[in-house]
Amino acid sequence: MSVSIKANKTLFANRRISDQMYITLLVASVATCLFLIASVLVPNFFQLQNMLNLVTNNWAVISLGVGVTFLLVSGNFDLSVGGIVALSGVLSVWFAQSIGGANALSTGLGLPYWLALLGALGGALAIGALNALFVVKFRIPSIIVTLGTMMVARGIAQVITQGSQRNTNLPDEFGVLGSLKVFGTSIQLPVVFMAALLMLAIFIERKMLFGRLTYWIGANPTAARLSGIDNAKHITYLYLFSSAIAGVVGILLSSEFQSGYSNRGMLMEFDALVIALLGGIAIAGGFGSVIGMFFGAIILAVVTSAATGLTLSPDWQFILKALAVFLAIMAQTWALTRRNQ
Amino acid sequence: MTSHQPPPVLSVEKLIKDYPGVRAVDEVSFSIQASTVHCLVGENGAGKSTLIKMLTGALQPTQGVMKVNGTTYQPSSTKDARRSGIATLFQELQVVDELSVLENLTLGMEQSRFGFIISSDLEQRVTQTLATIEPSIDPSARVSSLSVAQKQIIEIARAASSGANVIIMDEPTAALSEREVERLFTVIRRLREQQVTVIYISHKLDEILSLGDTVTVLRDGKHIVTKPLSEVAGRAELIDMMIGRSVFQSYTVRSAVTDEVVLSANGLSNSLLNNVSFDINKGEIVGFYGLVGAGKTEIARALFGADKVSGSILFKGQPVGNSPKEAIAAGIALVPEERRTQGLFTNLTIRENIPVMNIRRMSDNGVFRSADELTAAVNYVEKLGIATDSIEKHTEKLSGGNQQKVVLAKCLFSDADLLLLDEPTRGVDVGAKTEIYDIIKNLADEGNSVALFSTELEEVLGICDRIFLLYCGSLESVIINGPNLDTTDILNVVTGGDRGGTQ
Repeated sequence: MSVSIKANKTLFANRRISDQMYITLLVASVATCLFLIASVLVPNFFQLQNMLNLVTNNWAVISLGVGVTFLLVSGNFDLSVGGIVALSGVLSVWFAQSIGGANALSTGLGLPYWLALLGALGGALAIGALNALFVVKFRIPSIIVTLGTMMVARGIAQVITQGSQRNTNLPDEFGVLGSLKVFGTSIQLPVVFMAALLMLAIFIERKMLFGRLTYWIGANPTAARLSGIDNAKHITYLYLFSSAIAGVVGILLSSEFQSGYSNRGMLMEFDALVIALLGGIAIAGGFGSVIGMFFGAIILAVVTSAATGLTLSPDWQFILKALAVFLAIMAQTWALTRRNQ
Repeated sequence: MTSHQPPPVLSVEKLIKDYPGVRAVDEVSFSIQASTVHCLVGENGAGKSTLIKMLTGALQPTQGVMKVNGTTYQPSSTKDARRSGIATLFQELQVVDELSVLENLTLGMEQSRFGFIISSDLEQRVTQTLATIEPSIDPSARVSSLSVAQKQIIEIARAASSGANVIIMDEPTAALSEREVERLFTVIRRLREQQVTVIYISHKLDEILSLGDTVTVLRDGKHIVTKPLSEVAGRAELIDMMIGRSVFQSYTVRSAVTDEVVLSANGLSNSLLNNVSFDINKGEIVGFYGLVGAGKTEIARALFGADKVSGSILFKGQPVGNSPKEAIAAGIALVPEERRTQGLFTNLTIRENIPVMNIRRMSDNGVFRSADELTAAVNYVEKLGIATDSIEKHTEKLSGGNQQKVVLAKCLFSDADLLLLDEPTRGVDVGAKTEIYDIIKNLADEGNSVALFSTELEEVLGICDRIFLLYCGSLESVIINGPNLDTTDILNVVTGGDRGGTQ
């Protein structure tokens, strides 16, 4: 009896921090270091308001990053989220615009506002369902499928807006959601959405069976199937989850700008992918966390806003992002191989 | 008399290969004469593969000398071996489907100037080689349109035209039909006429008797004999030389076996199985024994619902076999053949691996029961004796035996009543093997049923109550384990001896 308890203790006592925790801490400390360096170099950088802005200005990409992270952990890409942002925004405007405007672009379907939002969300979910159909049923690599649906979604948005914008003939309540201040503070509803989504995602990932299923499928899809997991169903849920997030982001953005614009969310799919990779999510699947993705977003935000603060031309943004990505990935690979020696 | 003969084309002297804790090849010496078909036989684990890997440069010998045409030969890679004229026909074909036959034959041998391919007599030479060994193949045909057997012949032709004078063939007929085997034999005989030496490895003794000139028998890493097949008195003598002793048996009749049928399979058929029917009883350990490719894995996967088969599978009276999910829910668990790619989540920890096959038990309205997971992990690590200092160890860092125990723990956690174990001790050291056998016996004694799928006769005879013998996808015979079993008979059945000349 006492022997068994002793063995129990050692088996528990030797729980060193997991690789997952190690990488997340690494990403978080890189983000902190970069922030401190930027604070020294850039005047007025070290201010509470600026710290908050780093997060709140990026609410859309961080929200998209949640869905993308889950899919990457399951071993799948989602490049369609930027296109869905455009599509759902344009749909919400088109559905809500009243009938009988002066020209085609100011004439919508005249649906009640709530129905317009539901319809826009439905459009977003349809793209997610399309992703799932091709990836799960026809076994086409997800990177190709979502590259295609990215263009499908943006293409439909383009047709509806005739390559331009729809911003007239909207009901008064249309602009409320995107600029609503909550709790009597200056915090806007979209930021609250992001925060709530992050909490929910972390809970699902760490505490729910759903999160664990995602890791199992990503770590070894064959073993998962032979262990009785319904990979197809789970990946379908993940694509619907990701497209629903993108749908909401699109609706909130179109409300904030009170317009449906087919180029909205351009390159957001890549930013979402970049912050996930910066956050230590393995492109092969089975490894990564939403918290890591969040700190990845902070790294990217610090680098780009510090560059602007240093009066570096915005033209340099892509080069900077590229440098950040390469450095982060190399640092992770190096850290993991060193640790596993 | 020996002085009149030319030096052997290939010879090994006191060759030794040591692995940690085991000597796979033990002072093996023999030589191979030019322009012969030299067969290599032995049971699984006799040292054939290790020997071949040393000849092709994939492994370096611990001690001993290899000679080609009388000069010392120390290949450092398969490429190196090719330069010394020794080519290997691997089981996995190395042809490019998208190219034509001719392009495949000249692949890697093209002559170029400034990056442009220049024409040479190469094409003519390879076309001629192909025509001598198999005139029916059109050199301009696309390789993707050829059968497996024809692709094999392309590989042989490529080896022959690249100047190889020794071609090693490891189980070349495993994926071939009866007629294709005949054609391959014709090719091999033509090669012999072209002064090419063939080293032929096969479990199918009939093939060896009809094709070979000389045979070398290995057993437990030791060289038993090398002699002309004309001096071998048929299958029986070959089998005697391969076994050499009565197989060690620790089997004792178990009292837990009942007559209650838990699973009955009827007429299982697919491209690799041929009308297989059997029952498994409660508390019983049944063995499925046969050579590589006899259909063991196919049966295991069919019972588990991982592959589609026709026929019916009833488990406790209910039909199963549609999906692994359904099988697990019904109470069947599988330890798959390939532990690393099919069984384990290697980048996850021991703790995270164990609960996967019983997710319903792990979920509390969708919330994962982390505390239960910890308890289960600690329990199984202790119960199965998984050697680790922590349940947080990544399973890729465990030894083969401990990895297999984690896979077993996964299956045990699913509360299955029937365990399907596909090669559960492959790549597992002797100590862990015994422990795994004990786990299996305990399970069956507790009233579960176990089906063991194995290519190791010793293992099957050691723990199984009943043994199903398989050959080429058919269930040939059922034997009840006991003290007076004739292993020669068993080997005769699984090497196709019962078929006679009918097939």
